Amino acid sequence: MRAPSTLRRPRLAIAALTFLATTSCVTASKMAGRNMVALVSAPREVQTRITHPQRPDARLAVLWIGHATTLVQMDDKFIMTDPVFTGSVGQLSKRLVEPGIDPNFLPIVDVTVISHMHFDHLSLGSLDLVEPKLRQVLVPKGGLIYVPNYRFETDEVAMWRSWQSGDLKVTAVPVEHVGFRYGIDATWMTTTFTGWVFEYHGMTVYFGGDTAYVAENFKKTAARFPHIDVALLPIAPINPRGFMKRTHVDPKEAVQAFLDLGAKVMIPIHFDTFVNSEDEPGEARHVLEGVMKERGLGADRVQILAIGEQRVLIPVAPIAPVAPPAAEALVRSGP
Amino acid sequence: MAACLVLAPTTASGSETKATEPAIAPTVAWIATQFIPSPEVAAGAGHTHAGLRWQVTPLLYSWGINRKLSPWRVLVAEPLSRQSGSIEAFLSPEFIDVDGDATDKWLLRPGLRAYFPILQHGEYLSMSVGSSYQNVQGRGSAAFEGGLYVLYGLFGVQVTYAPLPHQPAGTIVTLRFRYF
Repeated sequence: MRAPSTLRRPRLAIAALTFLATTSCVTASKMAGRNMVALVSAPREVQTRITHPQRPDARLAVLWIGHATTLVQMDDKFIMTDPVFTGSVGQLSKRLVEPGIDPNFLPIVDVTVISHMHFDHLSLGSLDLVEPKLRQVLVPKGGLIYVPNYRFETDEVAMWRSWQSGDLKVTAVPVEHVGFRYGIDATWMTTTFTGWVFEYHGMTVYFGGDTAYVAENFKKTAARFPHIDVALLPIAPINPRGFMKRTHVDPKEAVQAFLDLGAKVMIPIHFDTFVNSEDEPGEARHVLEGVMKERGLGADRVQILAIGEQRVLIPVAPIAPVAPPAAEALVRSGP
Repeated sequence: MAACLVLAPTTASGSETKATEPAIAPTVAWIATQFIPSPEVAAGAGHTHAGLRWQVTPLLYSWGINRKLSPWRVLVAEPLSRQSGSIEAFLSPEFIDVDGDATDKWLLRPGLRAYFPILQHGEYLSMSVGSSYQNVQGRGSAAFEGGLYVLYGLFGVQVTYAPLPHQPAGTIVTLRFRYF
């Protein structure tokens, strides 16, 4: 005999709560266990750490420093995303791999963007470390509350608005995530997550920060920025998928976002740097490689970097040999 | 640096620099967390007593948060606003299990406390000093305190000392739990 619906609902709710509690406890205990292991072991060394990130041979280059931290060179400008250089984030999550560059070797960074307020994206200790290198930090609307006073300027940029300095333009674009830092502040931190688009000298770079898959967001961005040269897209955390899906793309969704954006190249970020999920080390990369095979995307379209690796995406065009001026022209140009 | 905020992507004119004040307000979740007590042990007059302490912040001034924003908070103060450097007026309802009836066991401790950041703007490690007034079993006294906090101020240890002799709770060690 079936129970009346009024009785079934509480049972369902209890079952759902039990499931959620069990799942979250299992996830939390797994993450805690891995972080405990990381706590007693030093971060893995990066084999070849770059000491001269300024590439004279590049118009557009990307250095993956780890997690969502990248250094983007666009001609003579440097842009950094979500700088995290500390040994842990949120005091509890330990770094698995050392940062891809020593902060001392960073160039002067023209603009630094923060995608949202989580500890693995807005790291105050990291901002302390790189403070002398930074000129301008941009945060999503409402984000100033969690950026204390530094020597550099910090400004908020609302959705679809831009910050501009000379020819360098940085625009906040929509993503699907959450904006809180501590939990309870989710009630009022409702606008503090964003993606960013950098434009300079005809080149365009997309930075997705952390995002779930919402096709409309990527398509709207593509409509406004139809010539994206490179999309820096997160591919993890993947598991537990039911929980992560609301706020994070997995590799399959990240590739779809890349195609929605119509970008020329995708560089995956936000994996294998900190323990923040049930993912095994290397899992996100492995899944991404499978998706690339499925979608027929080669290593020229989805360029997977190692932490500390720098990739030149647009090289400086070779200088064409200058022909000696004709005698007639010389005569004409004379006084 | 000649920088400006402009409408994107078509209008490249006008400039603005906005700082958005957070719409902080007491929520049900926040109120619920304020009921979580901090356990403590009070020692004095040859005895030790268990106790519980709660925290209310009628007013806080933060010098640690971004200078473009209001430094004032009423009741609800984000961990960074508090731990990055602030001074707060506080009221602590407190229960100390001394001998006597309920009026002897319960007290309301008013005081002033200043927080100072030590690591990562106070989010990783911060400290506090303060003073308050306590009245236990009819013995009123000024009290002085110091504290050390980790994990955005979520966990900490506070030591409160009332210097007058024969205080039934002359020294109190509190394991401070505080979430916002």
